[in-house]
Amino acid sequence: MSIEVAGGRRGLTDPILAAQILAAIPDKPLETQRKMNYFMTPRGRRINEYEVLCCYTQPTPDWIPGGLDWGDWTQKFHGGRPSWSNESTEMHSSDWLKHRDPAFRWHALYVKDKAEEWRYTDRFLKAYSADGHVRSIDPVWRDEVLGDYLGAFGFSEYGLFNSHSSVVRDCLGDTIRMSSAMIALDKVDNAQMIQAERTFLAKLVPGFPESTDIPKKEWTKGAIFKSARETVEKIWQETYDWNEILFSGHMIYDPLFGQFVRREFFLRLASYYGDNLTPFFVNQMQLYHSQTKGITTDMFHTCLSADPEFGEYNDRLMRAWSDKWLPQTVNALKDFMGIFAKIPEIKGVTSKDAIQAALERVFDDWQRDYAEPIGYKVDTAALIKTVLTGLK
Amino acid sequence: MAISSATKAATDALSVNRAPVSVGAQEVHKWMQSFTWDFDKNRTKYSTKYKMANDTKEQFKLIAKEYARMESVKDERQFGSLQDVLTRVDAANRVHPKWNESMKVISNFLEVGEYNAIAATGMLWDSASAPEQKNGYLGQVMDEIRHTNQCGYINYYFAKQGQDAAGHNDARRTRAIGPLWKGMKRVFSDGFISGDAVECSINLQLVGEACFTNPLIVAVTEWASANGDEMTPTVFLSIETDELRHMANGYQTIVSIANDEAASKYLNTDLNNAFWTQQKYFTPVLGMMFEYGSHFKVEPWVKTWNRWVYEDWGGIWIGRLGKYGVESPASLRDAKKDAYWAHHDLFLLAYALWPTGFFRVTLPTAEEAEWYEANYPGWYDMYGKVYEEWRSRGCEDPNSGFLPLQWFAENNHPIYIDRVSQVPFCPSYCKGASTLRVLEFNGKKHSFSDPWGERMWLSEPERYECQNIFEQYEGRELSEVIAEGHGVRSDGFTLISQPHTNKDGKLWTLDDIKKIGCVFADPLKAL
Ligand SMILES: [Fe+2]
Ligand SMILES: [Fe+2]
Repeated sequence: MSIEVAGGRRGLTDPILAAQILAAIPDKPLETQRKMNYFMTPRGRRINEYEVLCCYTQPTPDWIPGGLDWGDWTQKFHGGRPSWSNESTEMHSSDWLKHRDPAFRWHALYVKDKAEEWRYTDRFLKAYSADGHVRSIDPVWRDEVLGDYLGAFGFSEYGLFNSHSSVVRDCLGDTIRMSSAMIALDKVDNAQMIQAERTFLAKLVPGFPESTDIPKKEWTKGAIFKSARETVEKIWQETYDWNEILFSGHMIYDPLFGQFVRREFFLRLASYYGDNLTPFFVNQMQLYHSQTKGITTDMFHTCLSADPEFGEYNDRLMRAWSDKWLPQTVNALKDFMGIFAKIPEIKGVTSKDAIQAALERVFDDWQRDYAEPIGYKVDTAALIKTVLTGLK
Repeated sequence: MAISSATKAATDALSVNRAPVSVGAQEVHKWMQSFTWDFDKNRTKYSTKYKMANDTKEQFKLIAKEYARMESVKDERQFGSLQDVLTRVDAANRVHPKWNESMKVISNFLEVGEYNAIAATGMLWDSASAPEQKNGYLGQVMDEIRHTNQCGYINYYFAKQGQDAAGHNDARRTRAIGPLWKGMKRVFSDGFISGDAVECSINLQLVGEACFTNPLIVAVTEWASANGDEMTPTVFLSIETDELRHMANGYQTIVSIANDEAASKYLNTDLNNAFWTQQKYFTPVLGMMFEYGSHFKVEPWVKTWNRWVYEDWGGIWIGRLGKYGVESPASLRDAKKDAYWAHHDLFLLAYALWPTGFFRVTLPTAEEAEWYEANYPGWYDMYGKVYEEWRSRGCEDPNSGFLPLQWFAENNHPIYIDRVSQVPFCPSYCKGASTLRVLEFNGKKHSFSDPWGERMWLSEPERYECQNIFEQYEGRELSEVIAEGHGVRSDGFTLISQPHTNKDGKLWTLDDIKKIGCVFADPLKAL
């Protein structure tokens, strides 16, 4: 027979082809080591599927720590800047490929989770609307807070989302590149969920404006988000160091400002105003927040702070970055305090004592989970006092 | 809005209509374009000489959650097939050995392209100003992560279940030894991520994806299937379903710059450079992998090439962009010539350099020789003869002490590497158009094999400074280089690469290579 086979004949199922193939196959396998990436150091006891599919996909030469390749880049930027280089960050590492998403999510696992969340969201919204639940929402909360301020907060999430584009381009490791893209997608998902909630409300409440015009005006011109917006703009567009982008966004701004707005404002207060819709969405955002926290604390604490060679230097740098980003974030919270004057007061819930307690929860969490691991000394009581001066 | 009247309206509305309501992806997507805002420093971090329009739209209208739903449905099907029926029929063990070897290279090298496309589309997401366009690129970022994982999955699957795991199990470490790696990095890695952002988009999307993805991802599934491999079609066709969106991203990028003055000045030059860059590697390497890396042949590479590269891409796809001033690249005609002989020239060198690979290569059999001669008249006199000579001198047998590299030295046919493409060539023994040009710059010599690449280098030598394997390994003994690059199997001495896939043939070891005493020399030093 000819070796040219036409008409889509398949070697697996065509008996004539299969016989020739089988005759050529060695009687026993030629290699006993069947574990892909067997040479690598796993995070746990064994190399898991995530590590098999993600680790060492980054083709960097060995002069970028962790890389397995050799030599120079085969094409550089105009003027000769290298494709990837150690100068892209002030941080140092003895292995840029060390990071792991603690949930070991490669692409298929990541989209599977989100797909389930989407299906459940669809079912939830249908049940919620058929139940007529929307009638119980306090009108001020609904029209002003959800319509304007939740909408405006969507821009914060959208801006943070965009801050990841250059991280995805510039970072020096495969796992951190994939993790950064995933936490970015979660951020744009947050912005989209906020818009989805507003569109949903517009379908149920005649006259409720789903347009982004008012929220955008609030975000760009209003007082409540002024410092938040300025901080997000700086993280997104003024910061070039990819580690600093991740650090400022996910180790300072979001665990303080983002957590207060999502968890202590929208999530905590919603049910007091008869709103059981917003918590459905914000709880998803909180899930993403906790997954992101796992990723960024792995990167900055488990990998960079604990780096055998550069750990101390990295801690010092992270403390310097904290000095730079913390005051702006505190200002963002201070401006945000203005929102309490816009809502009907509920004693013990939106009064100053309750706000202070909420701030204490956020700052205490941050101090324990983010500041202490890098030896950052901070007087949270003083910061909270500053924030509270924003109350009108 | 007056609050009380709105609340009343809501209550009234509900009293007449309690139908369940949800929100669809497109209802959210339609607001996307307004998600951004203007501020002082809102600009990209990556320079480009083009300006992308602020109102560029994107046609697929995905939001994050809908994207996830769509991809996860495809994943279920794909991984279901792999883990269920293909495993039960022991499919990985029923692939022709030659093709088992080809997939070590194809899947791993494609993985590098996919991986770098993550970074490339990250850069384009940064460069685009329209939120819809950013969103299109974001979708692609995620897809390219998917594809990276999928390509890895092929090697993982073949390693776990197939007939020769070596090379599948460590491609990410051993691939860097040999002569194909640096050229691959030029097209699939650096070409996508280092340069003017739009130039990178042209490399990745307009040429890489729109032109070479078809032969690479689709044609490969036909060759795979003919040779008993059903894993690769299962995965690669699933990859391909995402590519339509990527080509659309590339198309939209051109649309977004079409009205910019810079486009009329630079676009066609950038396209021509990108086309030449990509074709210089893919044309010979794909042809070689298909024809020399298979037992059963689907059709001669030159036919596939003419249909997909020349007619479909050069004609139809570029034709569609004609209204934006895009012209078919000037180098297309030279590329067409390459599509005939370049892969035959390259295999001669790749076979000769076999010890530096991470896969086994096979000399053409008698029936293959016949097929080559029938499809490429003149093949035997140029190549067939040489392979016969090598075979008779025992090139497959470790006891022979003969490496085909020696033949090149004996016959005074030095092998050079093109500085720009990093593709090896032998100007004194080839049928393709390679000619040797040597230029000196900053005290260093550079060889080139074609005028298109040479011209790129002449205008920007600082972009192409990478040393090649001969410079890197100069003065070092071959077995030492292989050992250092981890080119051995788990027994610690048998080479991963071999010059045959004969099931009864003896396997070469480091000692067999060492005995020969082959030392790398830089051919440019001899000039
Ligand atoms: Fe891809
Ligand atoms: Fe793609």
